[in-house]
Amino acid sequence: MSSTSEIQIRNVSMVYKGQKGEAIAALNNVNFNIREGEFISLLGPSGCGKTTLLRLMADLLKPTTGEIVIGGLTPGEARKTRQYGMVFQNPVLYEWRTIQKNICLPLEIMKIGRVERNEIAEEMLELVGLSDYANRYPRQLSGGMQQRVGIARALAINPKILLMDEPFSALDEFTRNKLQEDLLKIWSKTHKTVIFVTHNISEAVFLSDRVCVLTPHPGQLADVIDINLPRPRSNEVRDTPEFMSLLARIRKCFMGV
Amino acid sequence: MEARRTKNIAALVWFVGLILAWECGAWVLQNVMHDSMHMQKLPYFHQVAGTFLVNFNSLLASAMVTLSRAFIGFILGAVVGVAVAIVMSLAKFVGKMLFPYLIISQMIPVLALAPIVYSIVKSQDAARIMLSAFITFFPVAVNMYSGLKSVDKDKIELVYSYTATKIDTYCKLMIPAALPHLFSGLKLSAPAAITAAILVEMLGTKEGIGIKILNSLYYGANGALIFWASVIMAALLGIFGYAVIAFIEKLVVHWEKGDREEGVS
Repeated sequence: MSSTSEIQIRNVSMVYKGQKGEAIAALNNVNFNIREGEFISLLGPSGCGKTTLLRLMADLLKPTTGEIVIGGLTPGEARKTRQYGMVFQNPVLYEWRTIQKNICLPLEIMKIGRVERNEIAEEMLELVGLSDYANRYPRQLSGGMQQRVGIARALAINPKILLMDEPFSALDEFTRNKLQEDLLKIWSKTHKTVIFVTHNISEAVFLSDRVCVLTPHPGQLADVIDINLPRPRSNEVRDTPEFMSLLARIRKCFMGV
Repeated sequence: MEARRTKNIAALVWFVGLILAWECGAWVLQNVMHDSMHMQKLPYFHQVAGTFLVNFNSLLASAMVTLSRAFIGFILGAVVGVAVAIVMSLAKFVGKMLFPYLIISQMIPVLALAPIVYSIVKSQDAARIMLSAFITFFPVAVNMYSGLKSVDKDKIELVYSYTATKIDTYCKLMIPAALPHLFSGLKLSAPAAITAAILVEMLGTKEGIGIKILNSLYYGANGALIFWASVIMAALLGIFGYAVIAFIEKLVVHWEKGDREEGVS
Protein backbone atom coordinates (compact mmCIF):
# COMPACT_ATOMS: atom_id res chain seq x y z
CA MET A 1 0.00 0.00 0.00
CA SER A 2 1.31 3.40 -0.93
CA SER A 3 1.75 5.86 1.92
CA THR A 4 1.16 9.09 0.03
CA SER A 5 -1.78 11.09 1.33
CA GLU A 6 -4.48 11.13 -1.28
CA ILE A 7 -6.94 13.14 0.74
CA GLN A 8 -6.11 15.57 3.51
CA ILE A 9 -8.79 16.87 5.81
CA ARG A 10 -7.45 19.83 7.75
CA ASN A 11 -9.24 21.50 10.67
CA VAL A 12 -12.58 21.06 8.96
CA SER A 13 -15.62 22.45 10.75
CA MET A 14 -19.11 22.72 9.41
CA VAL A 15 -21.82 24.84 10.98
CA TYR A 16 -25.38 24.74 9.69
CA LYS A 17 -28.01 27.37 10.30
CA GLY A 18 -30.97 25.79 12.08
CA GLN A 19 -34.58 26.67 11.40
CA LYS A 20 -34.61 29.39 14.06
CA GLY A 21 -31.30 30.74 12.78
CA GLU A 22 -29.33 29.05 15.56
CA ALA A 23 -25.95 27.59 14.73
CA ILE A 24 -25.74 23.80 14.62
CA ALA A 25 -22.25 22.32 14.61
CA ALA A 26 -22.28 19.34 12.28
CA LEU A 27 -18.52 18.84 12.29
CA ASN A 28 -16.01 20.16 14.76
CA ASN A 29 -12.36 20.48 13.79
CA VAL A 30 -11.79 17.21 11.96
CA ASN A 31 -8.22 16.34 10.96
CA PHE A 32 -7.49 13.23 8.97
CA ASN A 33 -5.42 11.88 6.10
CA ILE A 34 -6.45 9.17 3.70
CA ARG A 35 -3.84 7.25 1.78
CA GLU A 36 -4.02 6.28 -1.86
CA GLY A 37 -5.78 2.96 -2.44
CA GLU A 38 -7.07 2.79 1.11
CA PHE A 39 -10.53 1.60 2.12
CA ILE A 40 -11.79 3.99 4.79
CA SER A 41 -15.11 3.88 6.61
CA LEU A 42 -16.69 6.86 8.26
CA LEU A 43 -18.70 5.27 11.03
CA GLY A 44 -21.11 6.80 13.49
CA PRO A 45 -24.73 7.27 14.52
CA SER A 46 -26.97 9.73 12.72
CA GLY A 47 -26.01 13.31 13.46
CA CYS A 48 -22.29 12.56 13.73
CA GLY A 49 -21.53 14.40 10.50
CA LYS A 50 -20.26 11.40 8.53
CA THR A 51 -22.38 12.16 5.47
CA THR A 52 -21.54 15.85 5.83
CA LEU A 53 -17.85 14.97 5.69
CA LEU A 54 -18.38 12.88 2.56
CA ARG A 55 -20.40 15.64 0.91
CA LEU A 56 -17.63 18.12 1.70
CA MET A 57 -15.18 15.88 -0.17
CA ALA A 58 -17.64 15.62 -3.06
CA ASP A 59 -17.98 19.42 -3.29
CA LEU A 60 -21.69 19.12 -2.58
CA LEU A 61 -21.07 21.26 0.53
CA LYS A 62 -18.47 23.87 1.46
CA PRO A 63 -16.81 23.73 4.90
CA THR A 64 -17.35 26.65 7.27
CA THR A 65 -13.66 26.59 8.18
CA GLY A 66 -10.71 24.39 7.32
CA GLU A 67 -9.84 22.79 4.02
CA ILE A 68 -9.89 19.52 2.17
CA VAL A 69 -7.20 18.65 -0.36
CA ILE A 70 -7.78 15.81 -2.80
CA GLY A 71 -4.67 14.78 -4.71
CA GLY A 72 -3.42 18.37 -4.46
CA LEU A 73 -6.72 19.81 -5.65
CA THR A 74 -9.64 21.53 -3.94
CA PRO A 75 -12.87 19.48 -3.84
CA GLY A 76 -14.27 21.74 -6.57
CA GLU A 77 -11.28 21.11 -8.83
CA ALA A 78 -11.40 17.41 -8.03
CA ARG A 79 -15.07 17.32 -9.04
CA LYS A 80 -14.44 19.20 -12.28
CA THR A 81 -11.59 16.90 -13.23
CA ARG A 82 -13.68 13.86 -12.24
CA GLN A 83 -11.40 12.50 -9.57
CA TYR A 84 -14.21 10.77 -7.75
CA GLY A 85 -17.30 8.70 -8.44
CA MET A 86 -20.20 8.92 -6.03
CA VAL A 87 -22.53 6.13 -4.91
CA PHE A 88 -25.63 7.33 -3.11
CA GLN A 89 -27.82 5.78 -0.43
CA ASN A 90 -30.58 5.34 -2.98
CA PRO A 91 -29.21 3.99 -6.23
CA VAL A 92 -30.32 7.24 -7.99
CA LEU A 93 -30.85 5.60 -11.36
CA TYR A 94 -32.65 7.43 -14.13
CA GLU A 95 -35.80 5.36 -14.62
CA TRP A 96 -36.13 6.26 -18.31
CA ARG A 97 -32.73 4.84 -19.17
CA THR A 98 -31.78 1.20 -19.46
CA ILE A 99 -29.12 -0.15 -17.09
CA GLN A 100 -26.50 0.23 -19.80
CA LYS A 101 -27.59 3.78 -20.59
CA ASN A 102 -27.50 4.65 -16.90
CA ILE A 103 -23.88 3.57 -16.75
CA CYS A 104 -23.19 5.54 -19.93
CA LEU A 105 -24.63 8.76 -18.47
CA PRO A 106 -21.41 10.14 -16.96
CA LEU A 107 -19.56 9.13 -20.12
CA GLU A 108 -22.04 11.04 -22.27
CA ILE A 109 -21.50 14.09 -20.09
CA MET A 110 -17.76 13.65 -20.64
CA LYS A 111 -18.42 13.59 -24.42
CA ILE A 112 -16.97 10.13 -24.87
CA GLY A 113 -17.96 8.51 -28.18
CA ARG A 114 -20.75 5.96 -28.36
CA VAL A 115 -18.62 2.94 -29.24
CA GLU A 116 -16.19 3.54 -26.40
CA ARG A 117 -19.08 4.32 -24.05
CA ASN A 118 -20.71 0.99 -24.72
CA GLU A 119 -17.41 -0.86 -24.34
CA ILE A 120 -16.86 0.71 -20.93
CA ALA A 121 -20.45 0.03 -19.89
CA GLU A 122 -20.15 -3.63 -20.84
CA GLU A 123 -16.93 -3.92 -18.92
CA MET A 124 -18.52 -2.33 -15.85
CA LEU A 125 -21.59 -4.53 -16.10
CA GLU A 126 -19.36 -7.57 -16.11
CA LEU A 127 -17.44 -6.24 -13.12
CA VAL A 128 -20.63 -5.98 -11.04
CA GLY A 129 -22.11 -9.19 -12.46
CA LEU A 130 -25.03 -7.69 -14.37
CA SER A 131 -24.05 -8.41 -17.97
CA ASP A 132 -27.40 -10.10 -18.63
CA TYR A 133 -29.34 -7.05 -17.50
CA ALA A 134 -27.87 -4.39 -19.78
CA ASN A 135 -31.13 -3.65 -21.57
CA ARG A 136 -33.45 -3.83 -18.56
CA TYR A 137 -34.91 -0.77 -16.89
CA PRO A 138 -34.14 0.08 -13.26
CA ARG A 139 -37.66 -0.82 -12.09
CA GLN A 140 -37.09 -4.37 -13.33
CA LEU A 141 -34.17 -4.85 -10.94
CA SER A 142 -34.09 -5.64 -7.22
CA GLY A 143 -32.70 -3.11 -4.76
CA GLY A 144 -29.38 -4.93 -4.56
CA MET A 145 -29.03 -5.06 -8.33
CA GLN A 146 -29.88 -1.37 -8.59
CA GLN A 147 -27.14 -0.55 -6.13
CA ARG A 148 -24.69 -2.61 -8.21
CA VAL A 149 -25.61 -0.44 -11.17
CA GLY A 150 -24.89 2.61 -9.01
CA ILE A 151 -21.42 1.25 -8.29
CA ALA A 152 -20.82 0.40 -11.96
CA ARG A 153 -21.82 3.92 -12.97
CA ALA A 154 -19.50 5.47 -10.39
CA LEU A 155 -16.60 3.33 -11.65
CA ALA A 156 -17.35 3.96 -15.35
CA ILE A 157 -15.45 7.26 -15.43
CA ASN A 158 -12.46 5.44 -13.90
CA PRO A 159 -12.08 7.84 -10.98
CA LYS A 160 -9.26 7.56 -8.46
CA ILE A 161 -11.68 7.82 -5.56
CA LEU A 162 -15.00 6.20 -4.79
CA LEU A 163 -17.27 8.10 -2.39
CA MET A 164 -20.01 5.87 -1.00
CA ASP A 165 -22.82 7.25 1.14
CA GLU A 166 -24.46 4.39 3.08
CA PRO A 167 -24.96 2.50 -0.19
CA PHE A 168 -26.16 -0.75 1.40
CA SER A 169 -28.24 0.62 4.28
CA ALA A 170 -31.58 0.02 2.56
CA LEU A 171 -30.84 -3.62 1.73
CA ASP A 172 -31.70 -6.73 3.70
CA GLU A 173 -28.85 -8.37 5.60
CA PHE A 174 -28.30 -11.25 3.19
CA THR A 175 -28.13 -8.99 0.17
CA ARG A 176 -25.98 -6.54 2.09
CA ASN A 177 -23.42 -9.19 3.05
CA LYS A 178 -23.22 -10.40 -0.53
CA LEU A 179 -22.70 -6.88 -1.84
CA GLN A 180 -20.06 -6.14 0.79
CA GLU A 181 -18.13 -9.20 -0.30
CA ASP A 182 -18.48 -8.27 -3.96
CA LEU A 183 -17.45 -4.68 -3.26
CA LEU A 184 -14.18 -5.95 -1.77
CA LYS A 185 -13.59 -8.04 -4.89
CA ILE A 186 -14.24 -5.02 -7.11
CA TRP A 187 -12.00 -2.89 -4.93
CA SER A 188 -9.13 -5.37 -5.15
CA LYS A 189 -9.46 -5.38 -8.93
CA THR A 190 -9.75 -1.62 -9.40
CA HIS A 191 -7.41 -0.23 -6.70
CA LYS A 192 -9.60 2.74 -5.89
CA THR A 193 -9.43 4.83 -2.76
CA VAL A 194 -12.79 4.20 -1.11
CA ILE A 195 -14.49 6.42 1.45
CA PHE A 196 -17.47 4.50 2.75
CA VAL A 197 -20.06 6.08 5.04
CA THR A 198 -22.01 3.70 7.26
CA HIS A 199 -23.75 3.40 10.62
CA ASN A 200 -23.19 -0.36 10.69
CA ILE A 201 -20.19 -1.34 12.85
CA SER A 202 -19.76 -4.82 11.40
CA GLU A 203 -19.99 -3.48 7.85
CA ALA A 204 -17.25 -0.93 8.60
CA VAL A 205 -14.97 -3.56 10.16
CA PHE A 206 -15.55 -6.10 7.40
CA LEU A 207 -14.75 -3.67 4.59
CA SER A 208 -12.13 -1.28 5.84
CA ASP A 209 -8.43 -0.81 6.29
CA ARG A 210 -9.23 1.87 8.83
CA VAL A 211 -12.46 2.91 10.52
CA CYS A 212 -12.96 6.56 11.44
CA VAL A 213 -15.24 6.66 14.45
CA LEU A 214 -17.31 9.83 14.54
CA THR A 215 -19.36 10.87 17.56
CA PRO A 216 -22.25 13.34 17.45
CA HIS A 217 -23.14 16.71 19.04
CA PRO A 218 -21.02 18.10 17.64
CA GLY A 219 -19.70 15.67 15.06
CA GLN A 220 -16.07 14.94 15.70
CA LEU A 221 -13.49 12.31 14.96
CA ALA A 222 -13.33 10.23 18.17
CA ASP A 223 -10.88 7.57 17.06
CA VAL A 224 -9.33 5.90 14.06
CA ILE A 225 -9.17 2.12 14.33
CA ASP A 226 -6.82 0.03 12.21
CA ILE A 227 -8.45 -3.14 10.92
CA ASN A 228 -5.68 -5.64 10.53
CA LEU A 229 -7.81 -8.54 9.37
CA PRO A 230 -6.13 -10.41 6.52
CA ARG A 231 -7.27 -9.87 2.95
CA PRO A 232 -8.92 -11.11 0.85
CA ARG A 233 -11.79 -11.26 3.30
CA SER A 234 -14.85 -13.41 2.89
CA ASN A 235 -17.95 -13.69 5.03
CA GLU A 236 -16.26 -16.31 7.26
CA VAL A 237 -14.09 -13.59 8.75
CA ARG A 238 -17.15 -12.27 10.58
CA ASP A 239 -17.09 -15.30 12.91
CA THR A 240 -13.47 -14.95 13.97
CA PRO A 241 -12.54 -13.75 17.48
CA GLU A 242 -10.44 -10.95 15.95
CA PHE A 243 -13.51 -9.62 14.17
CA MET A 244 -15.57 -9.81 17.36
CA SER A 245 -12.98 -8.03 19.43
CA LEU A 246 -12.78 -5.23 16.84
CA LEU A 247 -16.57 -4.85 17.04
CA ALA A 248 -16.35 -4.66 20.82
CA ARG A 249 -13.55 -2.12 20.67
CA ILE A 250 -15.50 0.15 18.34
CA ARG A 251 -18.67 -0.22 20.34
CA LYS A 252 -16.73 1.06 23.34
CA CYS A 253 -15.99 4.30 21.46
CA PHE A 254 -19.70 5.11 21.44
CA MET A 255 -20.29 4.39 25.13
CA GLY A 256 -21.50 7.37 27.02
CA VAL A 257 -22.23 9.22 23.80
CA MET B 1 -55.64 -10.45 -17.78
CA GLU B 2 -58.67 -11.36 -15.68
CA ALA B 3 -58.86 -7.89 -14.15
CA ARG B 4 -58.67 -6.32 -17.57
CA ARG B 5 -61.57 -8.37 -18.89
CA THR B 6 -63.67 -7.46 -15.87
CA LYS B 7 -62.88 -3.81 -16.52
CA ASN B 8 -63.89 -4.09 -20.17
CA ILE B 9 -67.18 -5.76 -19.26
CA ALA B 10 -67.89 -3.07 -16.68
CA ALA B 11 -67.24 -0.37 -19.29
CA LEU B 12 -69.58 -2.07 -21.75
CA VAL B 13 -72.34 -2.43 -19.15
CA TRP B 14 -72.07 1.25 -18.31
CA PHE B 15 -72.21 2.23 -21.97
CA VAL B 16 -75.25 0.11 -22.73
CA GLY B 17 -76.91 1.27 -19.51
CA LEU B 18 -76.34 4.91 -20.43
CA ILE B 19 -77.97 4.45 -23.84
CA LEU B 20 -80.94 2.63 -22.28
CA ALA B 21 -81.35 5.45 -19.76
CA TRP B 22 -81.23 7.95 -22.63
CA GLU B 23 -83.93 6.09 -24.56
CA CYS B 24 -86.11 5.82 -21.45
CA GLY B 25 -85.62 9.51 -20.66
CA ALA B 26 -86.65 10.48 -24.19
CA TRP B 27 -89.69 8.21 -24.03
CA VAL B 28 -90.79 9.67 -20.68
CA LEU B 29 -90.36 13.21 -21.96
CA GLN B 30 -92.46 12.45 -25.03
CA ASN B 31 -95.15 10.07 -23.78
CA VAL B 32 -95.50 10.76 -20.08
CA MET B 33 -94.74 14.46 -19.75
CA HIS B 34 -96.02 15.29 -23.25
CA ASP B 35 -93.35 17.98 -23.61
CA SER B 36 -93.80 19.80 -26.91
CA MET B 37 -90.09 20.64 -26.97
CA HIS B 38 -89.03 17.04 -26.42
CA MET B 39 -87.07 16.93 -29.67
CA GLN B 40 -84.88 19.85 -28.61
CA LYS B 41 -84.58 18.75 -25.01
CA LEU B 42 -83.85 15.08 -25.47
CA PRO B 43 -84.52 13.24 -28.74
CA TYR B 44 -84.27 9.46 -28.89
CA PHE B 45 -80.73 8.17 -29.01
CA HIS B 46 -81.46 6.00 -32.03
CA GLN B 47 -82.70 9.04 -33.93
CA VAL B 48 -79.59 11.01 -33.03
CA ALA B 49 -77.39 8.07 -33.93
CA GLY B 50 -79.20 7.74 -37.25
CA THR B 51 -78.74 11.43 -38.03
CA PHE B 52 -75.11 11.14 -37.00
CA LEU B 53 -74.51 8.28 -39.42
CA VAL B 54 -76.46 9.82 -42.30
CA ASN B 55 -74.60 13.12 -41.97
CA PHE B 56 -71.33 11.52 -40.98
CA ASN B 57 -69.30 12.85 -43.91
CA SER B 58 -70.36 16.47 -43.52
CA LEU B 59 -69.96 16.24 -39.73
CA LEU B 60 -66.50 14.78 -40.15
CA ALA B 61 -65.53 17.49 -42.63
CA SER B 62 -66.59 20.17 -40.15
CA ALA B 63 -64.85 18.35 -37.33
CA MET B 64 -61.62 18.20 -39.31
CA VAL B 65 -61.69 21.96 -39.83
CA THR B 66 -62.08 22.46 -36.10
CA LEU B 67 -59.53 19.80 -35.23
CA SER B 68 -56.83 21.12 -37.53
CA ARG B 69 -57.08 24.67 -36.12
CA ALA B 70 -57.23 23.35 -32.55
CA PHE B 71 -54.23 21.14 -33.23
CA ILE B 72 -52.07 24.01 -34.49
CA GLY B 73 -53.08 26.05 -31.45
CA PHE B 74 -52.42 23.11 -29.15
CA ILE B 75 -48.90 22.60 -30.49
CA LEU B 76 -48.19 26.33 -30.27
CA GLY B 77 -49.51 26.58 -26.73
CA ALA B 78 -47.65 23.46 -25.64
CA VAL B 79 -44.33 24.62 -27.08
CA VAL B 80 -44.65 28.05 -25.48
CA GLY B 81 -45.82 26.46 -22.23
CA VAL B 82 -42.84 24.11 -22.05
CA ALA B 83 -40.44 26.92 -22.97
CA VAL B 84 -41.84 29.24 -20.29
CA ALA B 85 -41.67 26.45 -17.70
CA ILE B 86 -38.02 25.79 -18.53
CA VAL B 87 -37.14 29.49 -18.36
CA MET B 88 -38.97 29.74 -15.02
CA SER B 89 -37.03 26.81 -13.60
CA LEU B 90 -33.72 28.11 -14.95
CA ALA B 91 -34.14 31.59 -13.48
CA LYS B 92 -35.94 31.59 -10.16
CA PHE B 93 -36.70 35.31 -10.24
CA VAL B 94 -38.46 34.90 -13.57
CA GLY B 95 -40.52 32.11 -12.04
CA LYS B 96 -41.50 34.24 -9.07
CA MET B 97 -42.27 37.18 -11.34
CA LEU B 98 -44.29 35.27 -13.92
CA PHE B 99 -46.23 32.86 -11.78
CA PRO B 100 -48.87 35.32 -10.48
CA TYR B 101 -49.51 36.50 -14.05
CA LEU B 102 -49.96 32.92 -15.18
CA ILE B 103 -52.63 32.51 -12.54
CA ILE B 104 -54.28 35.84 -13.45
CA SER B 105 -54.34 34.85 -17.11
CA GLN B 106 -56.52 31.93 -16.09
CA MET B 107 -58.98 34.25 -14.34
CA ILE B 108 -60.02 35.75 -17.68
CA PRO B 109 -63.04 33.80 -18.90
CA VAL B 110 -62.37 32.36 -22.34
CA LEU B 111 -65.95 33.21 -23.18
CA ALA B 112 -65.06 36.89 -22.79
CA LEU B 113 -61.70 36.58 -24.42
CA ALA B 114 -62.96 34.89 -27.58
CA PRO B 115 -64.86 37.87 -29.05
CA ILE B 116 -62.07 40.25 -28.09
CA VAL B 117 -59.43 38.16 -29.84
CA TYR B 118 -61.72 37.61 -32.81
CA SER B 119 -62.40 41.31 -33.23
CA ILE B 120 -58.71 42.17 -32.94
CA VAL B 121 -57.23 39.57 -35.32
CA LYS B 122 -60.29 39.56 -37.60
CA SER B 123 -59.36 36.11 -38.86
CA GLN B 124 -61.35 32.99 -38.10
CA ASP B 125 -58.31 30.77 -38.31
CA ALA B 126 -55.99 33.00 -36.32
CA ALA B 127 -58.63 33.47 -33.61
CA ARG B 128 -59.25 29.74 -33.29
CA ILE B 129 -55.54 28.97 -33.17
CA MET B 130 -54.80 31.73 -30.67
CA LEU B 131 -57.54 30.73 -28.29
CA SER B 132 -56.63 27.04 -28.47
CA ALA B 133 -53.03 27.99 -27.79
CA PHE B 134 -54.07 30.22 -24.89
CA ILE B 135 -56.08 27.42 -23.29
CA THR B 136 -53.32 24.89 -23.82
CA PHE B 137 -50.57 27.09 -22.48
CA PHE B 138 -51.53 27.26 -18.82
CA PRO B 139 -51.96 23.57 -17.86
CA VAL B 140 -48.83 22.72 -19.83
CA ALA B 141 -46.70 25.49 -18.31
CA VAL B 142 -47.86 24.82 -14.74
CA ASN B 143 -47.51 21.04 -14.94
CA MET B 144 -44.16 21.20 -16.68
CA TYR B 145 -42.90 23.73 -14.13
CA SER B 146 -44.00 21.58 -11.20
CA GLY B 147 -42.42 18.58 -12.92
CA LEU B 148 -39.11 20.41 -13.25
CA LYS B 149 -39.30 21.53 -9.64
CA SER B 150 -39.97 18.03 -8.32
CA VAL B 151 -36.92 16.34 -9.81
CA ASP B 152 -35.14 14.38 -7.04
CA LYS B 153 -32.33 16.26 -5.37
CA ASP B 154 -30.18 13.12 -5.56
CA LYS B 155 -30.54 12.98 -9.31
CA ILE B 156 -29.48 16.62 -9.62
CA GLU B 157 -26.50 16.05 -7.32
CA LEU B 158 -25.47 13.11 -9.47
CA VAL B 159 -25.10 15.18 -12.65
CA TYR B 160 -23.56 17.98 -10.57
CA SER B 161 -20.91 15.53 -9.36
CA TYR B 162 -20.07 14.87 -13.00
CA THR B 163 -19.93 18.62 -13.67
CA ALA B 164 -22.63 18.46 -16.34
CA THR B 165 -23.41 21.55 -18.39
CA LYS B 166 -26.82 23.20 -18.03
CA ILE B 167 -27.79 21.84 -21.44
CA ASP B 168 -26.84 18.28 -20.48
CA THR B 169 -28.58 18.67 -17.12
CA TYR B 170 -31.81 19.66 -18.86
CA CYS B 171 -31.63 17.26 -21.79
CA LYS B 172 -30.53 14.22 -19.84
CA LEU B 173 -32.27 14.80 -16.53
CA MET B 174 -34.71 17.65 -15.99
CA ILE B 175 -36.84 17.32 -19.11
CA PRO B 176 -37.13 13.50 -19.15
CA ALA B 177 -37.90 13.53 -15.42
CA ALA B 178 -40.64 16.12 -15.97
CA LEU B 179 -42.29 14.22 -18.84
CA PRO B 180 -44.94 12.45 -16.73
CA HIS B 181 -46.01 15.86 -15.37
CA LEU B 182 -45.97 17.36 -18.85
CA PHE B 183 -48.31 14.68 -20.13
CA SER B 184 -50.76 15.35 -17.28
CA GLY B 185 -50.89 18.91 -18.56
CA LEU B 186 -51.21 17.88 -22.20
CA LYS B 187 -54.08 15.52 -21.40
CA LEU B 188 -55.94 18.36 -19.72
CA SER B 189 -55.17 20.73 -22.58
CA ALA B 190 -56.01 18.60 -25.60
CA PRO B 191 -59.81 18.50 -25.16
CA ALA B 192 -59.79 22.09 -23.86
CA ALA B 193 -58.01 23.31 -26.99
CA ILE B 194 -60.78 21.75 -29.11
CA THR B 195 -63.45 23.35 -26.93
CA ALA B 196 -61.73 26.71 -27.37
CA ALA B 197 -61.77 26.37 -31.15
CA ILE B 198 -65.47 25.45 -31.06
CA LEU B 199 -66.17 28.47 -28.89
CA VAL B 200 -64.64 30.82 -31.45
CA GLU B 201 -66.61 29.13 -34.20
CA MET B 202 -69.83 29.81 -32.34
CA LEU B 203 -69.14 33.53 -32.75
CA GLY B 204 -69.71 32.92 -36.46
CA THR B 205 -67.19 31.30 -38.76
CA LYS B 206 -67.65 29.79 -42.19
CA GLU B 207 -66.88 26.21 -41.26
CA GLY B 208 -66.29 24.04 -38.26
CA ILE B 209 -68.26 21.91 -35.86
CA GLY B 210 -69.03 24.94 -33.70
CA ILE B 211 -70.89 26.79 -36.42
CA LYS B 212 -72.76 23.60 -37.24
CA ILE B 213 -73.98 23.44 -33.65
CA LEU B 214 -74.96 27.11 -33.75
CA ASN B 215 -76.80 26.92 -37.10
CA SER B 216 -78.73 23.80 -36.18
CA LEU B 217 -80.33 25.72 -33.32
CA TYR B 218 -82.33 27.77 -35.86
CA TYR B 219 -84.08 24.83 -37.48
CA GLY B 220 -86.56 23.54 -34.87
CA ALA B 221 -87.17 19.85 -34.39
CA ASN B 222 -85.18 18.79 -37.49
CA GLY B 223 -82.29 20.96 -36.48
CA ALA B 224 -82.36 19.41 -33.03
CA LEU B 225 -81.19 16.07 -34.38
CA ILE B 226 -78.35 17.73 -36.27
CA PHE B 227 -77.60 19.73 -33.13
CA TRP B 228 -77.30 16.56 -31.04
CA ALA B 229 -75.31 14.76 -33.72
CA SER B 230 -72.92 17.73 -33.91
CA VAL B 231 -72.56 17.80 -30.14
CA ILE B 232 -71.69 14.11 -30.21
CA MET B 233 -69.13 14.75 -32.92
CA ALA B 234 -67.65 17.57 -30.84
CA ALA B 235 -67.50 15.29 -27.81
CA LEU B 236 -65.83 12.59 -29.89
CA LEU B 237 -63.26 15.15 -31.01
CA GLY B 238 -62.40 15.90 -27.39
CA ILE B 239 -62.15 12.22 -26.55
CA PHE B 240 -59.99 11.69 -29.63
CA GLY B 241 -57.65 14.49 -28.56
CA TYR B 242 -57.30 13.01 -25.12
CA ALA B 243 -56.82 9.48 -26.45
CA VAL B 244 -54.08 10.53 -28.85
CA ILE B 245 -52.12 12.21 -26.06
CA ALA B 246 -52.69 9.26 -23.72
CA PHE B 247 -51.40 6.93 -26.44
CA ILE B 248 -48.29 9.01 -27.04
CA GLU B 249 -47.78 9.17 -23.27
CA LYS B 250 -47.77 5.40 -23.07
CA LEU B 251 -45.10 5.22 -25.75
CA VAL B 252 -42.93 7.97 -24.32
CA VAL B 253 -43.33 7.53 -20.56
CA HIS B 254 -42.91 3.77 -20.72
CA TRP B 255 -40.91 3.49 -17.50
CA GLU B 256 -43.72 4.46 -15.15
CA LYS B 257 -45.47 1.11 -15.16
CA GLY B 258 -44.54 -2.53 -15.09
CA ASP B 259 -43.62 -5.31 -12.76
CA ARG B 260 -40.33 -5.85 -11.09
CA GLU B 261 -38.58 -9.06 -11.89
CA GLU B 262 -36.97 -11.17 -9.26
CA GLY B 263 -33.29 -11.76 -9.78
CA VAL B 264 -29.98 -12.13 -8.06
CA SER B 265 -29.27 -9.53 -5.39
